[in-house]
Amino acid sequence: MSDATVKGTGYRVFFDAGAATVHFEGSLRLGTAEYEPIAALLSGVLALRPTAITLRMTELVFLNSSGINTLYKFIIAVRKLGDLAVHVDASSTITWQGKSLPNLRKFLPSITLTLS
Amino acid sequence: MNESIGDFRDLTRGGARVSLVFHSGGVPVRWSQCSATAEYFAEYFADVHAQACADDADRNEFIGTLSYIVNELVENAVKFSMGEAVEVTVSIEGEELVALVSNQILATTVEGLIEKFRGLVAGDPTEMLIARVEANAVNPDAGVSGLGFLTMMADYGATLGWYFGAVQDNPQNVLLKTMARLPMRNQ
Repeated sequence: MSDATVKGTGYRVFFDAGAATVHFEGSLRLGTAEYEPIAALLSGVLALRPTAITLRMTELVFLNSSGINTLYKFIIAVRKLGDLAVHVDASSTITWQGKSLPNLRKFLPSITLTLS
Repeated sequence: MNESIGDFRDLTRGGARVSLVFHSGGVPVRWSQCSATAEYFAEYFADVHAQACADDADRNEFIGTLSYIVNELVENAVKFSMGEAVEVTVSIEGEELVALVSNQILATTVEGLIEKFRGLVAGDPTEMLIARVEANAVNPDAGVSGLGFLTMMADYGATLGWYFGAVQDNPQNVLLKTMARLPMRNQ
């Protein structure tokens, strides 16, 4: 898996292997089971055993609670690996990001979060 | 049946109010339609609330908050509705923004829901959110995330309430009303 993309109506999630960055774009309001392809993409990233990755959220306008659950579960999977540095690039002008992304520190204290 | 849990209060008649009623007609309501509904209410009430939105950042915050809350409530209602109408109402009541969703559910699910909702209003929302996420992480087969109400309370400061009432002529169903209240000054 060098690059991978999951896309649907109004959203796209893709991994840029060269930049070790997962990009989230659009509006993600899917049912719980519909997040499986995105969860699989994220698991695939972990399987590469990178030392550091960035999650770029600045283009993700909406994320519903099922999506937040998918994201938090991924961060817990990162915590279990123990040696992967995660940075989240987020936007303070997107409401859900300011409200919910700070919770990531509760699951992975070493995570770095930029809310620009 | 006539039971309330949490902060459920009947709407007053004073403030701005908009209601939409879905009649699916047997066609399943898609998640994208829940999202479109949420965005409609958020944009509409951003203009009602315009005098309190000092700048674009305030407006974005208001829209993002109301859109999230209504989307979660409507997704829940659609997910568990027993084929009857789903009614969505948003109202400004004094210093509060109120979102109310009504739908019918199976009577056999009521007992479990009452226990769940009592638990939600009794604990610390952030602690319950963390515990639920950790539980979800070790239970990959869970069909639902269970984070909708918890994120509303923990991340958005919403207070929640529920009402269960009888459905005339159909004892197999129960009317469920779910209410979220948000302090306007925080929007």
